[in-house]
Amino acid sequence: MAFKSVFEIVNGVAKITLSGELDAAVAPAFRIDIEKAAAAKVKAVALVMKDLEYMASAGLRALVFAKQKMGTQVEIYMIGLQETVMETITMTGFQNSVTFLDEYEAARIEGA
Amino acid sequence: MQSLIVPGILDSLSEIGQFVNAAASAAGLEKKVAYRLRLAVDEIATNIIIHGYEDAGLSGDVGVLVEMDAVALTITLEDSSGPFDPRAFADPDHIYKPIEERPIGGLGVFLSKNNVDRFDYEYVNGHNRNIFVINRPKPS
Repeated sequence: MAFKSVFEIVNGVAKITLSGELDAAVAPAFRIDIEKAAAAKVKAVALVMKDLEYMASAGLRALVFAKQKMGTQVEIYMIGLQETVMETITMTGFQNSVTFLDEYEAARIEGA
Repeated sequence: MQSLIVPGILDSLSEIGQFVNAAASAAGLEKKVAYRLRLAVDEIATNIIIHGYEDAGLSGDVGVLVEMDAVALTITLEDSSGPFDPRAFADPDHIYKPIEERPIGGLGVFLSKNNVDRFDYEYVNGHNRNIFVINRPKPS
């Protein structure tokens, strides 16, 4: 399935819905949305990933960029990860720097 | 032996991924193992294309060879960029640090080496050969 990144701002939160396969060829589209989130000075970033079937390290690089650009006070939520994608996240130690949720919890994320 | 030859450009990654997925399926690998193999191959293919070809101002192809026997599935990536042995790369020492304190890159080779049962490399006749081996499930 082709990669798609959909960006929206909901109550001060950048909600980015990712689907398909995220490799280095398509990672710039994700990076652009991360840059939009940084420019908008959002209070949190919510990555909705339940339809993301594959993620290479190019996706992780965009997350490092996000955290460095926006600062540690901006929480990053990863929502509905598939097990295989989660394995890559934990293998590279990213689980200590993001918050995992099964579903988009508006009260928790937008109330942050 | 099955093979695929694609131009050494990022747009070829998807085709390489599909080819590896098909080989994994033919080898009877379970979903998680197949995913790890595709990731391992994809990361090295990405390095070949970005660093081996693009950054060096070179162009060339990437070959993908599939060999399978009763014990293992072996994928070999071949390219004609400059010699580069990923095994010489130490694992990053920053994977336990918060991500805001990390360098941007350095995870691709780590993911490649650690997601297959054996990773090997050789330089033969002006070509890099990155070799990924996954043990096939034993018949029950």
